[in-house]
This record gives sequence, structure tokens and C-alpha cells, in this order.
Amino acid sequence: MTSTISDVTNEGVGDEPDSSGSHDQPSSLGSLVSKLGLNRFSGLYLLAGFFIFFGLTESNFLQWNGSIEFVLTDKVIVSMLALAFLVPLITETFDLSIGATMALSLVIVNKMALETDLPDWIGAVVGMGACLVIGAINGLIVVKLKVNSFIATLGMSQVIAALILRIHDGGNITGALGDGYIEFGKRNVFSFSWPGSGSEISLPYYFFFGLIVAVIIWYILEHTPIGRQMFATGGNREAARLSGVNVDRLSWSSLIVSAGIAGFAGLIYSWKFAVYTSSVGPPLLFTAVGAVFFGASQLRGRPNVWGTIIAVYTLAFGIKGIGLRYPREISWIQPLFEGLVLIVAVAVASRQAIVKVARRRSDTAPPPTDEQVAAAAAIAEGTGKAARS
Amino acid sequence: MKNLLVIRDLSKTFPGQVALDNVDITLGAGRTHALIGQNGSGKSTLIKILAGYHQPDAGSRAELDGSTLALGDGPAAAAAGVRFVHQDLGLVDSLDAVENISMGVGYTTKRGGRIDWAADKQRARDGLDLLGFDDVDVSVPVGALAPSQKTAVALARALHGWEESAKLLVLDEPTASLPGDDVERLFAAIRRLKERGVAIMYVSHHLDEVFEIADDVSVLRDGQRVTTLPTADLDHEALIELMIGHKLERSSMGSSASSEGVAGLEVSGLTGGTIHGVDLVVRPGEIVGIAGITGSGRELIAPYITGQIPSDEGSVAVFGTQIPNYDPRAAMDAGMAFVPADRATLGVLPLSSVGDNLTIADLWRNWRGGRLRHAEEKVECADWVKRLSIKTASIEVPIGALSGGNQQKVLFGRSLRLSPTVLVLDEPTSGIDVGAKDQILGLIDAAAQDGTAVLAVSTDTDELVQISHRILVMVEGIIIDELSGDDMTTENVERSLLQTLKAAGR
Repeated sequence: MTSTISDVTNEGVGDEPDSSGSHDQPSSLGSLVSKLGLNRFSGLYLLAGFFIFFGLTESNFLQWNGSIEFVLTDKVIVSMLALAFLVPLITETFDLSIGATMALSLVIVNKMALETDLPDWIGAVVGMGACLVIGAINGLIVVKLKVNSFIATLGMSQVIAALILRIHDGGNITGALGDGYIEFGKRNVFSFSWPGSGSEISLPYYFFFGLIVAVIIWYILEHTPIGRQMFATGGNREAARLSGVNVDRLSWSSLIVSAGIAGFAGLIYSWKFAVYTSSVGPPLLFTAVGAVFFGASQLRGRPNVWGTIIAVYTLAFGIKGIGLRYPREISWIQPLFEGLVLIVAVAVASRQAIVKVARRRSDTAPPPTDEQVAAAAAIAEGTGKAARS
Repeated sequence: MKNLLVIRDLSKTFPGQVALDNVDITLGAGRTHALIGQNGSGKSTLIKILAGYHQPDAGSRAELDGSTLALGDGPAAAAAGVRFVHQDLGLVDSLDAVENISMGVGYTTKRGGRIDWAADKQRARDGLDLLGFDDVDVSVPVGALAPSQKTAVALARALHGWEESAKLLVLDEPTASLPGDDVERLFAAIRRLKERGVAIMYVSHHLDEVFEIADDVSVLRDGQRVTTLPTADLDHEALIELMIGHKLERSSMGSSASSEGVAGLEVSGLTGGTIHGVDLVVRPGEIVGIAGITGSGRELIAPYITGQIPSDEGSVAVFGTQIPNYDPRAAMDAGMAFVPADRATLGVLPLSSVGDNLTIADLWRNWRGGRLRHAEEKVECADWVKRLSIKTASIEVPIGALSGGNQQKVLFGRSLRLSPTVLVLDEPTSGIDVGAKDQILGLIDAAAQDGTAVLAVSTDTDELVQISHRILVMVEGIIIDELSGDDMTTENVERSLLQTLKAAGR
């Protein structure tokens, strides 16, 4: 088990001397690293490594049912929570209430199915509505009352927890949701037999619902003025405001969107598992937040949708493989693995930010000036700052 | 004259470039020696080698007070008595002066390791008294102090124990963040130190300061020392010529503007903070300068007009369109563009690329058919980079990697891209070198030639005289004087500031 972990750690750390090598003088090793994209695609390389290693060593790893299909569908929920965290983060606003918000929509849809005769989809709509209200209140507290978003949403998280207990006092709700409701999200989009083997390849609707959400957010962030304005707001709020960006409205709406996506994660949970349990929601926060920061080191060198998704699935397949290999130890290896990967990925990314500026400095300018050195430090600090929080 | 610091054959090579090339510099004991040069001339590198931040190339030698000084060795320099106050001061804003000083030089402790606050407080007091800053409250957070007081705290920290050991004080751009009258206080402190025998190496962009404070001046250009002369043997023009290596093209500026006609920018009754009712009009094609000492309200004029901060009263109109108070977006929609004074905190998006920084104020221009046309945006940005001669490897580079002057040009590009009818500039050339300054003044002039009404606020009187058609002088919150034509000289403007102050009974 230790060998696997140190493999992972070494791979991440392995990037570091290479990139720092290209800092002083572009070495062939450094250019190889950038040519292979090790700096920007370390997650994908890691994922490929997992598939090769566990695919060869664990006969069950490449099975569709119970392994690949399980990870793909199970992690849709964490992916949604990660995106919920990502959206406000881009405007430098933190939403720590997303885990609780997800539980809120889940408890509402289950409770209404349990207690009323209304169709289940009305419960889903009410649940989503409640989450959007939560998001709007978060926005009000952060933007109008000027409470630090970290604190505001941490507090809101507890308020929602209380609200959930008022709605349903402990215990699980099972079997309340109707078959029609579950079938709506859970039925398969496609289904075919893998040639040569007996396993049925299929993916449910909710997987594609999640994918659609990811595509929409990616499109808004990367291909619309709104997205650019959000990044500007996160980069330097006052400078963005003075450039005519309505920074308050962006922060506010990003918190509403965040709560909406978190609520939708609750609905996906309800389709997938058809139950409410009191342990769902907040415990997923670490994995989601970790994936966002790991993902920020991928592809673009800033928080981004596909980097986040890659991060979620890289971690998930890694854990799946480790679980198959060391079934008894997985319970403690999982948090260790998640924590280490997050730390290493962010450490490498911070280092890259310094190196990038330093290298460009020597490319473009004559001798480095104070301002440029300060800028490099500021950028490094910025990356570090994002990572620390 | 006794030599204090002798540097010989100092070279520093960075990969692919020579930052310092066999520089010889000699500092006389007890004298103030200015080190000047454009950005990239090597003066920062020299300071950093002294401070131990960079290692010099082999063969570089230095002597301090007769004994060998190891270059590139910070602790050795400190032990030999070289003290530094860097541009950013390195103070913790949330702590008071006592703690800031103690943090740097070590806490005084009593038995059991308890901090002796009374002793530390006295030490801070003494240090500041020595500099003539006996009015500093040492128990409020330094963030609440005036800029010159903060500088004094940093000086007091650097000079702790100077009687025993300090021989040379290196001041790197000490006035960069100081408003005009605060500079005078700093100079008074420097003169006190000089009287007490401390030699000072003074690094600055501000040539006026050099003439005021320095005995000798060394000019660096492209990593080489061009000359060292007593300041008395030089004048402003000669110094600039030495710095940039050719004569500065002057007074090509000054487009003709109609003194009558419609108002481009019309401000009336503007009130708030230290400003009490300012009226002004800028006509299309005209450059109007605003001068004033710190506290005169000069520093608030542009922020109020452009909606950076909310004003109490008054109206601002762009070609007759009233601008709502505290609404930069509305001002821009009406045709006003502006470049704020504090480039780092109010201007640049540090992590974003040069291109993203250029286009942020109007992204919808390249939005068609439901998506941003990235390719068109790139072409447009490349065009701006060329037009403003911004030195950057590409438009993808984070703006933080550019020099101050080039960052400022990007911010000008952001504003000019809006094709403004009114342009409001606040300290347009602060903290940038002579060459970039010239280009930026050229851009301002070109904008006016195109019919833009330009309002330029600056602490640099020379610059205002060079580019403006009229200069409005602010004293104690109102516009007290207007200078134009032949009356508009640096001397007249500065006399106007001072005379009216005296008339007001100060």
C-alpha cells in the first residue's frame, strides 16, 4: 500500500525539479516536460497511470459494472458540488454551505414524497426553489451586509443543518419516492453489450444531466463576457469595478448559481439512491473543494470546469484501484490519498506560477526590475492564497 | 574627501543578459549619493547585490570604510553597517510602530522571556524623535499613519543602533508612495541623519529630489556607470540626457484647442472630503491639468469625477449627459474613460493576461452569435500592443510580468479602446521611467488631437506644464488659480501653490 502512495507522491513531485530546471536555463528535461504537458495535464497522466497499473494488476478494475460505471455515476454528485464551489470561487467568493444545500433539496424532495400526495416532481421543484432562496440569502449577507463569504456561508451551513432537522428529525427516508420519479433520472440513455464479454454498457440520464450542467458552466466561464468579468472580479475586485464590471451582481448571482447546482446535486442523489440519509451532504465538501484546487492546476492554470472534473475522476479512479488492491485498508487510505494529492498538486501549481513569470521576465525584459520581481512574488502569493483557502 | 564605500568591477550576468557591466562606484563618507537610471539600467540589481539578494559575478570587489565587504552577502553587509529601507517599507499595517520596530530588531525581554514593552516603546520613540518625527503615535497601527510617518518608522527600524554600527543607509525609491509635502518631511529627516555623519545612497526616479537632496549623483545606463558628478555641476536637462543617452524631445506637445465651444467635461459644485465646491470645464481637444499639494483635494478630484468613490454633492456631465454619482459604468457609457492613480490596486488584473486586461472594459464588442470571438479579440489586442508599443512577449503573458511603464500603457489601451470623448487621468506617469513617460505623454497629446477632452491630475508639475493647455491650481479644496499660455511655467505653478497657501494664513 505504501508503494502505491509513494508512487503517486513521486509523480507529482517529479514535475517540480523539472520546471525549476527550466527556470534557470531551459534544459532539455524542462522542455520535455512542457512538450508532454506534464505541467498542465498531470491529472490526465495520473489517471492514465492508474488505468494502466490497476488495469494490469487488478482484474476487476476494468470491469464496466461495479467499477468503471460505478465511479462514473457515483462521482457525478461530487462533480456537481465541486462545480458549485467553483462558480463563486472564480469571483473570489467562497461558498461552504453547498454540502448542506445539497442535503436540503434531498430532504425536501423525500419528505414531500413521504408526507404529501403531490407528485414527486413538485417536491423537486420546491427543493430547488428552497436552495435558490438560500443562495439569494447568502448573496444578501455577503454583498449587502459585507460579511466575509467564508464566514457567512459557514454560518449558513449550520442554519441549513438546523432547517433540515426541523423538516425531518433524524433517520433515513427510504422508499418514499415513486418509481416514475426515479426512472426519470435513472433510466439508461443507451445500453449495449460489450463485444466478447457479457457486461452491459450503459449510462443513466442523470449522468448526462450533470454533463450538461458542466458544459453550460464551462461555456459561460470561457466563452462569454460574463465569465471574463467573473475572472476579473476574482483577480482584482476594485479594478474590475472601475472597468465597469458590476462586481456585486456577479458575486450575488454566482452564489445563487452555486446553491442551484448544489440543490441539483441533491436531486441527482435522489435519483441515484432514492433515499435520504442524514449523513449526506456536508461530508462531501472536502472532496469537492479539494478537486477544485487540484483542478486549478490543470489545463488553464486557474480554476476551470474540466480541470475540476478531471480532478474528481482522477481521485475517484485512484481510490477505486487502491480499494481493490487493499480492500481492508481503504478506509484510512482514502482520506490520506485525497489530502496528499491536493497538497502536492497545489504545491506544484504554485511553483509553476513563479517559474512562468520568472521565465517570461528573462525572455522579454532587460534586467529584472523591482516591479517585476514583486509581480512574480504577488502571483506566487495569489496562487498560494487561492490554494490555502 | 574620505571614501566610505568603494565598489570595483561589479558585474552581474543573468541568463542571456548583462545587468551590470564592470561598474565602479565610490561613495564619499557623510555624503548623500544619488543613484539614478531608467528601469533596467541596473540600479535595482546593484542595490539587491548590496542587500545580498543577488550574487555578483566573480571578480567584483567592494570595500567599506577601508575593509573588504563581501558582496551578495546580506548578513555581512548588515554586520558591516549597511542598512536598507526598501521601496515597499516592509511594515505590517495592522501592528503599531513599537511592534514593527521590535519585530525587525528584536524584542527587549525581561526575566522569563517576557517582552519589556515599556523599553520597546521608548526605543521606538527615541528612534522617531531622532528623525524629527516626534508627532508619530507609536501605539496606533502603522496603517493609520500618514505615508511619511510610515516611512519614518521604517527608517527608525533600519537605523536602530546606528550610532554603534550604521555607516551607510540605502534608500530605494523612498518617496514612491509619498505625497508632495510628505517628501519634505522625509528630506528633513535625511538631512538630520547626514548631519550626524550617516552616508546615504539614494535611489530615485524623481530628478527634482535628486537635485534637492543629493551631493553627488551616479548615472547608470544599460548596466554601465555613465558618470559620477557633484549635483551642483548638473542641471535637469543634462541629467535626463545622461540617463536616456539622447536629448529629450520636448514641447512637441500642445495641440490647439478652441477656447470656446461645447463643454466635453463639465463639473459643477463638486463637494466631498477635502473638496468644497469645484467647478471646471474641459473642452474637446483640450488638456487641462490639475495641480495641488497633498490635502488640497487634488488627489480626490479624479476619483469623484469618475465615480470611484461617492461624492457628497455636485454634478458631472459628459457632453451634456449627467453622470450619476459613484457609478463608473454609467460614466463609461456616457463616453468617459479613466486611468486611476494606483495602478496596482485599482488598475491591473494581476493574474490575467495582457489581452484580458486590455479588453475587460468592453467585452461585448467581440460577442457575436452567442459567443466571444477569441480570434478577433486577439487581433485587436495585438493591434493595441503595437500601437502603444507595449513591450511584451505576447498578449497571453500575465500583466504582472510587465514593467510598470508597460502596465500603464496597457491601462491606457484599456481606456483608449473605448474611444472616449472625455479622458480623466490620475497621476498618469507615476512610478515609470523616463522613456515610457515620454510615450505616455505622447499618447495623451494624441488623444487630445483627436478631439478628446482630457483632464490630467498630477503631482509632477513639469509634466503638467509640458502637456497642458491650462493648469488649474487647487488649494484647500477649491480651485484658486488658472494658468495658461506664457504664464504656465513650472515656477509659476509652484509659486501659485505656495503663495496662495500663505495668503490663506498657513
